[in-house]
Amino acid sequence: MVRTGYGMEPTEHILDEFPEHSVFDVAIVGGGPNGLIAAAYLARAGLRTIVVERRHEIGGGLATEETLFPGYYTNPHAIYHMMTDYMPLFRDFDFSVHGLAFVKPNAQTAAVFSDKTSVMLCNQVEDTKDSIAKFSQRDANNFGKVMRQWRRLVDDVIAPGTYVPPMSPLDMIEAFERTEAGREVLRLTEMSPIEIVNELVEDDRVRTLLLYAACMWGLNPHESGLGFLVPLYIDRAANKAQCYGGSHKLAGSLSREILRNGGVVLDNAEVTSFIVENGRVTGLEVFDGRVIEAKAVLSSLPPPITFGKLLPSESVPRELQRVSKEWEWDDWSFFTVAVATNEAPHYETDDPWVNDAFMVVTGFDSTEQLLRHWDGVLAGRLDLDCVGGHATVETRHDPTLVRVPGHHVSFIQAHVPWAIEGGWKARQDELTDVLLSRWGRSARNVSPANIVLSTAESPLDIETRLPNMVRGSIKHGAYNALQMGVFRPHDSCVAGRTPLEGLYLCGASSYPGGLVIGGPGYIAANSVAEDLGVQKWWTPPDYVRRYRETYLS
Amino acid sequence: MHDETFDIVVVGGGHNGSTIAAYLAKSGLSVAVCEARPECGGGQENTEPRPGFRIDPHATYLYGGAAPGFDQLELWKYGMRMVYYPSMSGVVTLDGIAANLGSRWRPDIGEEAARRYFPEHAGGMGGLGDALSEPAMRELLRALFWTPPHPRQHEVDEADLPWWKVFRKHVPDIWTDRLLDMSYCDFLEEFVPWEPARVVAAMGAWYCGAHPNWDGMLLPSMGGTLLFTYSGGSPRGGMHTYAHAIIRCAIAHGARILTNSPVEEIVVRNGRAVGVRLSAEASYPEKTIWARKAVISGADVKQTFLRLVGPQHTDAGFAQRIADVSLKGGSLFVMSVICRELPKYHGRDDAFPEDVYPSCVVGPADSMEYVYTQTRDAYSHKKAPEHLTPEHLTMMICSHDQYDPTRTVEGYHVLSPIYLECPPPQYDVDGPEAYNRRKKEIVDAALALIERMAPNMNSDNIVDVFVNTPYDSEFRNAGMSGGNWYGARQSADQWFGTRPIPELARYRTPIDGLYMCSQSMHPGGLCLMAVPYNLMHILIEDGVVEPASWWYPSDWYVPEAGRQIVGMS
Repeated sequence: MVRTGYGMEPTEHILDEFPEHSVFDVAIVGGGPNGLIAAAYLARAGLRTIVVERRHEIGGGLATEETLFPGYYTNPHAIYHMMTDYMPLFRDFDFSVHGLAFVKPNAQTAAVFSDKTSVMLCNQVEDTKDSIAKFSQRDANNFGKVMRQWRRLVDDVIAPGTYVPPMSPLDMIEAFERTEAGREVLRLTEMSPIEIVNELVEDDRVRTLLLYAACMWGLNPHESGLGFLVPLYIDRAANKAQCYGGSHKLAGSLSREILRNGGVVLDNAEVTSFIVENGRVTGLEVFDGRVIEAKAVLSSLPPPITFGKLLPSESVPRELQRVSKEWEWDDWSFFTVAVATNEAPHYETDDPWVNDAFMVVTGFDSTEQLLRHWDGVLAGRLDLDCVGGHATVETRHDPTLVRVPGHHVSFIQAHVPWAIEGGWKARQDELTDVLLSRWGRSARNVSPANIVLSTAESPLDIETRLPNMVRGSIKHGAYNALQMGVFRPHDSCVAGRTPLEGLYLCGASSYPGGLVIGGPGYIAANSVAEDLGVQKWWTPPDYVRRYRETYLS
Repeated sequence: MHDETFDIVVVGGGHNGSTIAAYLAKSGLSVAVCEARPECGGGQENTEPRPGFRIDPHATYLYGGAAPGFDQLELWKYGMRMVYYPSMSGVVTLDGIAANLGSRWRPDIGEEAARRYFPEHAGGMGGLGDALSEPAMRELLRALFWTPPHPRQHEVDEADLPWWKVFRKHVPDIWTDRLLDMSYCDFLEEFVPWEPARVVAAMGAWYCGAHPNWDGMLLPSMGGTLLFTYSGGSPRGGMHTYAHAIIRCAIAHGARILTNSPVEEIVVRNGRAVGVRLSAEASYPEKTIWARKAVISGADVKQTFLRLVGPQHTDAGFAQRIADVSLKGGSLFVMSVICRELPKYHGRDDAFPEDVYPSCVVGPADSMEYVYTQTRDAYSHKKAPEHLTPEHLTMMICSHDQYDPTRTVEGYHVLSPIYLECPPPQYDVDGPEAYNRRKKEIVDAALALIERMAPNMNSDNIVDVFVNTPYDSEFRNAGMSGGNWYGARQSADQWFGTRPIPELARYRTPIDGLYMCSQSMHPGGLCLMAVPYNLMHILIEDGVVEPASWWYPSDWYVPEAGRQIVGMS
């Protein structure tokens, strides 16, 4: 009977529990966004599906938790939902029946400077141009023209490419050479983010905002090879949506779909191993001894865990053993200070719209300062004199996060290395004070008198809450040319399939990558449905179909 | 464009609201639950204010082990799992005692304590424990908690109320009609030979609901202790995992659970509840949800009638009776502590070895005078005591991660909850925020007292402290009158046929189609799946729902006169 080291056997039977041994069609390890998305598609296809999650709450990065206790919820991970307009998920499911709604304000991403000037990316490009024109009319005009072109790159190439399996580098070059958009994508790929931004605008302050938007998710500003992500990230920086009610509501909506289609969600169930029989993965074992058998097992966990820990080493192909040993974690992580306040943080700048902006970059007056900060972080250092970050008032567009009417929750978030000299426990309070004071320079009411509660999370906390985010890797692995595209995680694992029959990959460490973009889960669901011979009840969106016809035929 | 009409609309997705939604959805009705917070479960919650550390702001133990709901709703399908504890409770005194009382799974531990501290009376509680082993215990608990109140016209002698009948059946030698008027404190005085054990039992009863000092409430008050002992543990991962099982059962059977959707009004037309109106901030796009068959309120009785229904639909006399539903009996000041080592009481390694460390330690438990002192502070003086000396601060200090490590980070422990008695904010002589203003002082005094009992609980050991006072809880927990889960405690005039007032006792209300399903109703708070189970009998009587094949009523259920009940012989 299961009960390894947890309490004891009762001497009388009190109540029935989840069985020690169960059989499903599909078992998915990890109830983060990708695992849940794969489960939602497959459960609705009629497959008996179970999601097995370690934590007591599903959602992974789709977390909305009472981190400012008592009474204030924050979104400690995913808050900027950047692909809601492209994820097939939202075309294939109607989550409004669960009360899910996204708020996408026009005032998107602003940067504020010490002299109280500001520049802002708005959802409506003409508003962005107006903001840039304060610094340079020429930059504003050029930005407008380039943005029109970049919108097409995103629409026709980069966004749809997110939802189909990747091509090999040679195939990709050959395919993209076919169109003007494709050729532009190839050209930008070979440039570094700094080069692309410098080509786009000349004013240093505008460059500061755009470079931040382009690289904040983990692009090395000096490296080429992933330049196609720059137009994507700058375009998406003007298309961020907030999940009303908290990011966890998306997880809740997905689990409702899983459940109403006969699926099971099992939380508090860390998986300790995969079961391999005759070279085939046939199921998994939970820490308490429970066994779940399944025809298809999907893992959203990164390669060092999937291949290095959960599988017996003799069943892992040598190449994948190498991948799991050499896997590179994210180059940087986040340090976040969240505050509950009586009044919302208020910026005094030259543009009242800044106070409506979803994200405000603060503490950087120049690209030189920004790069000095990032270069230090990339080298594993944190220089408190040049640290800055981005801030969001979470309750600006979602008052439901606070239980005390009229109060607010906000955060400031900065890029930091995994480890800091002296250790996080010793230095956390100091960094908190520095960030609050830096923030307070642009938003004067971020002050002790206004702050009801505050809390800080370091990369160590990220890893503690979500152990797959090893070293605080929010994307489950660095974005560099060696582990992106068809090499994420390895070219033997394309479209979510692996060399091991019965085992699939569906997490952020698979193509296309991390953040809440729904790509890995969707791609894996497609492969599993095909392999198990079930009818897909969904069809690809038009933009994906066009991409396939243009580039994959 | 979006569904706005359901058979049943439930106000509030706390324990009771979610459970009735599961029962009714599984019976084939369309159900919508409108919950104000981002997460359902109400007080049946866990929260992780610091990554990796799970605390229990309210519910903490499984009390509902005897609930029909586990098999009727087949909660095992939705992930229900338990952790059973070798030791449920222990007691500590200032004069050096640290006694481990074990659990029903390890009675040898309690027997050893008895041999050590009251050898001449080993066997405790007048032999009640032996007499009430399975299946007698389950029967008694079901008679007490999982039985709807009798119809008003069904008169019985007090001695023939269901729980007394069962009690007499199993323990005839102890029965006398003297028991009818006794308080649990009287009983403890007479039958429990050891003062610290009396304190544990009395405080344990208080934490569950009926105050041990209230006359005529012997069995309900003892019942809390029996529920705790019978179930012998906590759900895997905490009480919220059990809430997930209930909620997922409801969803799997088609219920629509709408979070971030606070109800502002129960819509009444021509004396009938026809739906609810959500606040403008609610996340669900339709702000009026219509109910074809019934609206069920999972909110407490005061919010239901004084806010959601409104005075235009009730008379002044009724409104006054609702306003007078008493929150007497105190509330809970809750602390949660993250520490590196569990308390080592009196500095002794052998006091509570880690493999049998009591989950719930009550201390200082030197004297019943401490119990009465705190009672006077909370109910008579209705304020925090001026001097926070030990007799004012007897605590229940809980920990679960010694048996369920999933609740903490390796190398650390979570003491949660730590309960202290205090007045409900509404009754505080110095105003509802008064206790909050003394939060730091009270926490410091409590921690100093814990350090006095366990010297290793110093500031090096303690990593973090979280506090939810009843005032805080009234904000964060929509639907908790008085900031605690029993609201109106179970006194003789708020139990069974009189809870919360006689005319509401059977879950029906003066508004047609409006039923009550919250902690205000019999049998009170605690996550027992009992209020919904009891309500189901009434809904079946009224033809709101047809009983499915898996439904069975309580053995002591008395239907309303003249009602034909399908499925009952």
